Amino acid sequence: MNTAAYEINHLSFKYHDKDIVDIDHYLINAGETLALVGPNGSGKSTLLNLLSFLSMPAAGEVRFFGETVRQNTQPDFRRRVGYLQQHPYLFNTTVIENIELVLKLRNINRQLRHVRAQNIIEQLNLGMLADKRAHELSGGEIQKVALARALVLEPEVLIFDEPFTYLDKSFVNGLEKLLLSIQENRTQTIIFSSHDHLRAQLIADRVCCIHHGKLIEESHVNLFHGKYSREQGAFNTGNIHIKIPEIADDVDIIAIEPTQIVLSRTELDSSMRNRFRGEIVALNARNEHIEVTVQTGEKFQVIITRSALDELAVTIGSPVWVSFKSSAIRTLR
Amino acid sequence: MNYFAQSFTDAIQLILKLDYELYFVVWTSLKISLLAVFIASVLCVPLGLLIASSKFPGKAILQSILNTLMALPTVVVGLLMFGLLSRQGPLGAWGLLYTQVAIVMGQCILIIPIVLNMVISAANTADPRIRSTSIALGADRFQQNLIFINEVRFAMLAAIVAAFGRAIGEVGVAMMLGGNIQGFTRTMTTAIALETSKGEFEFALALGVLLLLVAFIVNVFLEKFQKLNK
Repeated sequence: MNTAAYEINHLSFKYHDKDIVDIDHYLINAGETLALVGPNGSGKSTLLNLLSFLSMPAAGEVRFFGETVRQNTQPDFRRRVGYLQQHPYLFNTTVIENIELVLKLRNINRQLRHVRAQNIIEQLNLGMLADKRAHELSGGEIQKVALARALVLEPEVLIFDEPFTYLDKSFVNGLEKLLLSIQENRTQTIIFSSHDHLRAQLIADRVCCIHHGKLIEESHVNLFHGKYSREQGAFNTGNIHIKIPEIADDVDIIAIEPTQIVLSRTELDSSMRNRFRGEIVALNARNEHIEVTVQTGEKFQVIITRSALDELAVTIGSPVWVSFKSSAIRTLR
Repeated sequence: MNYFAQSFTDAIQLILKLDYELYFVVWTSLKISLLAVFIASVLCVPLGLLIASSKFPGKAILQSILNTLMALPTVVVGLLMFGLLSRQGPLGAWGLLYTQVAIVMGQCILIIPIVLNMVISAANTADPRIRSTSIALGADRFQQNLIFINEVRFAMLAAIVAAFGRAIGEVGVAMMLGGNIQGFTRTMTTAIALETSKGEFEFALALGVLLLLVAFIVNVFLEKFQKLNK
């Protein structure tokens, strides 16, 4: 049975009498990676502040590993969470001293501090930066060092606010691997926010959308790995070729919005450049919509209305055509 | 011009000869001003941080008053303190008039508005992420303040150096509260005034050179410190 790292009940946070966060009930399991996706101003950072115990809710409660967090006990819980801010601040000293400082705040002796700081520096490949002063670092480097500073504490929960914002591609890949390795070991609970849906889907066990402070659960859909093939002029998943909106040699992942895919019994004569013949392998009801899974060599998930399904008069095993415009595709480098 | 050049040469000779009386006056000045700066800093750094981080009615007026007090004339401080410390004054029983302690007290009053104002200003203009980061990293209240002071250390040091410059260079307080007693309360500035009026221009000039030298050394030290920490 999973233990809940967080149990949120009737949580509310207001600013100038406006609800910024309003969550009735939500559980975040220990050891899971949760992505919080939403546009700017949706309440992501406010929720992360509440989960890091940097602010107290106006109403409701947050239980952390079964314990209720109160105003007077908030600082003790704060020390059990590693929080990487969206625009992290490094203290005006060297990189290694920045990392050691957080251990010093917890009264860890000098020798152990140094060993742990060196280990995290090696793990994140920051050796070249160790003796540099904070003001000599670029935006991406600051983010890396701040990440090291959060990780060195080995907290029970790691919270990252938009961790991929300023990082170069090589480090984004490194960070993804790191998060995935923590996920494999299931030692820490990770919560991160991102405006990049696709990346969130790639890394997280669960993706949760936040809109106007309310949480809406989402699943991983239509995510394909592969390479752009110049000969085919399309993205090659290994099984099918998908025409994408641009010539992009460095794209290695694409996603297709399930509501943007059209299902038909015959091949459509339209401007849609991507048309694949397949067979329905699953039908799932989602309120007023039906989630149709079509095997075309790759599995596509398509969301259509009940009436559209009735009109198509198809069922599991029926042959269908899957069509979509290349503009419905999102690419990731 | 010849008179000035001759006096200047004599003054340099006095400095190089390590004249005891000359250096005793310098030592007295340094001792008094450093003590005043130390007391003002110990009081004003935490107080300034507290004022900057709190909201209370009259905060803006307090800052306006502090701004005005930065330009407090030294003779006015000397005069008020003289009234308090003289035998007929309310603090006359303490017997502090014409002592080094009286000068330290007067200089403290003179420089407290400078240090306080500059600390408040440094705290107000500091990056707000300093505090939020230290809180997020789990620092307790005391640790947060230590981190904050460390982050704004250049501005703090600049406040302390400015205060020291004001204290070591003032003459009104030292003259009125110290009485310019030889070997006891005679400071560089009071000695310069006295020796010039006595016609001992070279002695006064030697003190003037040393006063400038002290100011120069303090500024070089500040600059080096900033470079080392950047």
